[in-house]
Amino acid sequence: MRRRSLGTAPLFVARCARLRYARGVSGTIAIVEDEQNIRDTVAFALRREGYQVTAFADGAAAWEAFQRSLPDLVVLDIIMPRMDGLELLRRIRSQSATLPVIFVTSRDEEIDRVLGLELGADDYLCKPFSMRELMARVKVLFRRLALAAHPGDDAEQLLEVGRLTLDLRRYTAIWVGSPVPLTVTEFMILRALARRPGHVKTREQLMDEGYPHDTFVSDRTIDSHIKRLRKKFLVIDAGFDRIDTVYGLGYRWAEGTA
Amino acid sequence: MSALSRLPVRLLAFNILLVFLPAAGILFLDTYERHLLDAQERTMAQEGRLLAAALEASGDLDATHARAILVKLGQRQLARLRLVDGTGAVLADSALLGPRRPPDEPSLSPTAALTVPPQQRLLYLIGSLPFRLLRGSGEPDDERDPLDADTGTLTGPEVRAALEGRYGAATRVLGDAARTVMLHIAIPVRLDGEVAGAVVVSQSTRRIMATLYAVRLDVFRVFLASLAVAVVLTLVVATTIARPLARLRLRAGEILDRRGRLTGGFEPSRRRDEIGDLERALAELTRRLEEHLRHTESFAADVSHEFRNPLASIRTATEMALEVEDPEERRHFLEMAQRDVARMERLLSEAREISRIDAHLDEEDRAPVALAALLGGLVESFRLRSGDSGPSFALDGGSEQVMVFGSADRFTQVFDNLLANAASFSPPGGRVTVTLRAAGGQADVVVADEGPGIPEEHRDRIFARFFSWRPAEQAAEHTGLGLAIVRAIVEGYGGRVCCRPRRPHGSEFVVTLPRLPSGASRPARGPASAETIEPDDRNPASGAPEQPVGGGTHQPE
Repeated sequence: MRRRSLGTAPLFVARCARLRYARGVSGTIAIVEDEQNIRDTVAFALRREGYQVTAFADGAAAWEAFQRSLPDLVVLDIIMPRMDGLELLRRIRSQSATLPVIFVTSRDEEIDRVLGLELGADDYLCKPFSMRELMARVKVLFRRLALAAHPGDDAEQLLEVGRLTLDLRRYTAIWVGSPVPLTVTEFMILRALARRPGHVKTREQLMDEGYPHDTFVSDRTIDSHIKRLRKKFLVIDAGFDRIDTVYGLGYRWAEGTA
Repeated sequence: MSALSRLPVRLLAFNILLVFLPAAGILFLDTYERHLLDAQERTMAQEGRLLAAALEASGDLDATHARAILVKLGQRQLARLRLVDGTGAVLADSALLGPRRPPDEPSLSPTAALTVPPQQRLLYLIGSLPFRLLRGSGEPDDERDPLDADTGTLTGPEVRAALEGRYGAATRVLGDAARTVMLHIAIPVRLDGEVAGAVVVSQSTRRIMATLYAVRLDVFRVFLASLAVAVVLTLVVATTIARPLARLRLRAGEILDRRGRLTGGFEPSRRRDEIGDLERALAELTRRLEEHLRHTESFAADVSHEFRNPLASIRTATEMALEVEDPEERRHFLEMAQRDVARMERLLSEAREISRIDAHLDEEDRAPVALAALLGGLVESFRLRSGDSGPSFALDGGSEQVMVFGSADRFTQVFDNLLANAASFSPPGGRVTVTLRAAGGQADVVVADEGPGIPEEHRDRIFARFFSWRPAEQAAEHTGLGLAIVRAIVEGYGGRVCCRPRRPHGSEFVVTLPRLPSGASRPARGPASAETIEPDDRNPASGAPEQPVGGGTHQPE
């Protein structure tokens, strides 16, 4: 393992991003959510952060508006009347492959459907979610978007562990030369494991890393993230076995240079 | 072979017994044999009497005359006829007389052993084994004939009896495979009232035994063939009954895994017999069980899902209340949180209500309820609550004497929910009409509104739990359980509820309940209700008489 530069704590990253956007790079965000209270509160919080927000009560209304112009980021509920979040995402993806989309959902089991469909949601939060967590994710996604538009803009911060390379600023992972499409949460969990190869991370530690602003996450959530992480690596490399389960303790990134 | 355990073995035993009993009757019972022997003895006695009568008619016991008669008779006789005088000395013997006609059967000579073809002998020995064990083989008698070789006179007991003027008969066992005996009878010959001699008729039962032997062999062959058929039939039965049953048992054992979850199911059978019926019944049973479990499971998932929205709203609202500095904004978020707390309370109580109806409706007190009075009161209270801008309410059929059987609180809940639903969809100044009609054994209540109506694709789902087809602005006020509660109660009482469009616009909700015949204090469980009310799968209409009140006392809202 060698480090080219020191990794930064996510809070610090978020703060940097906030400064960047506070300097006038304000994005437009669409919130599509049928629960009026949640919609209003999220819209309020996003506006407070300086974003331009449009709110829609269902997928059909949002799609009508999106056909005129796409926002820079979408916060999307799954179960909605008239047109659900999955259908809306499918339509968004037909227009733009990179538009960041965060799901907020009240059903854990739907998440597997979302990711199983390979529609490419960038992140998701389960209800009841922490507003600070959602704000942090929005910032990360905006930063990723900005860095993708300007490659080599800043000094790169790469973490290399064996054949795994993590871009700590763009929140992207590369395994044996191929990019692994990870959600922000998955990336943060993977980063926590890869920083100390061979060392066991407990579920609590991974929760702290994966959800730095949320204290109410069940440890089962970590298990399903790990499951999906493995699946995503296995798609690229059928022999992938770097993420070990240490029964009763947690998980670790298996050491070894092979 | 597992198929031959228990049931098939029992079937085999029954089948063999069925074959065995009649065969054993013929093989081992003496009826047939005795009948044949009796017939033979009668024939012999007949011959003896004929000869005796002929001699008596001639009035003389003359040896020459007797011989002449014997010669004539002997041509046609199979028996040996002998004539003795008063001392037992033989005067004439058909066996020693002139040319006999060739015998019909080669084995009829008295001394010849009963011959058995070797290929049949083993079969006969096997077949007659229990027969011989039962009787023991007859020991041959020392004397085979009443003739005393020393004196040349007949001295057997039957001859003595005849010479004393009585009918005499004796058997002597010859002893061979078929238990052949020699049958001797003696008839006295009287001249002038005095016994002057006797006619002795002797015949072997060999002929009968040969017949019996053939019959027994045939019966035994049939028995063996039937036995084979019985075994084959049993195997067929075993494969058509026992095997499918064993398979069903195996399936039943596998249907629950170690954690008590339903894993498999019975496939509906295409068999037309009782096993097919059983299989279909089991398939239906597991299907319903599975459906019920899935229903319960999805209800739990739905409840958790429905709770997360207000919970998420409360969480984000309180988070924001802590962050904002403006007291107005803070107040706004706290009020929002409070509204969602109220909504969670409503959700909780309705979810609890619906599971209580599912589980305990049958145990609640039931009594005859006059629908007209109940609907009249409800319509009046909605009218009062409605105010000027709200919809107007009307009751049609309020004079109908319609009694239904159930809990007045539950019926109130049903129509309260329907009226509230109609009111919430009514345009300002719209009209909500409640119509009560009695039709045969049932009561129809129609709640009609002038709202936007329900799209056809949602009409089936409108009564499903947590399904709601409301504008998003209204959604927070309604749990999506109101109509589900209506359906649960109505179906629990053996009724039906459906939704249909109303002309020119709006919807109608039709509640059909089994009607109580006027004067009756509880529903007849007869055809009146059975004809019109389709039995509900989950909650069979139980016209249960009053039972102790369960935990399910209803709190009207």
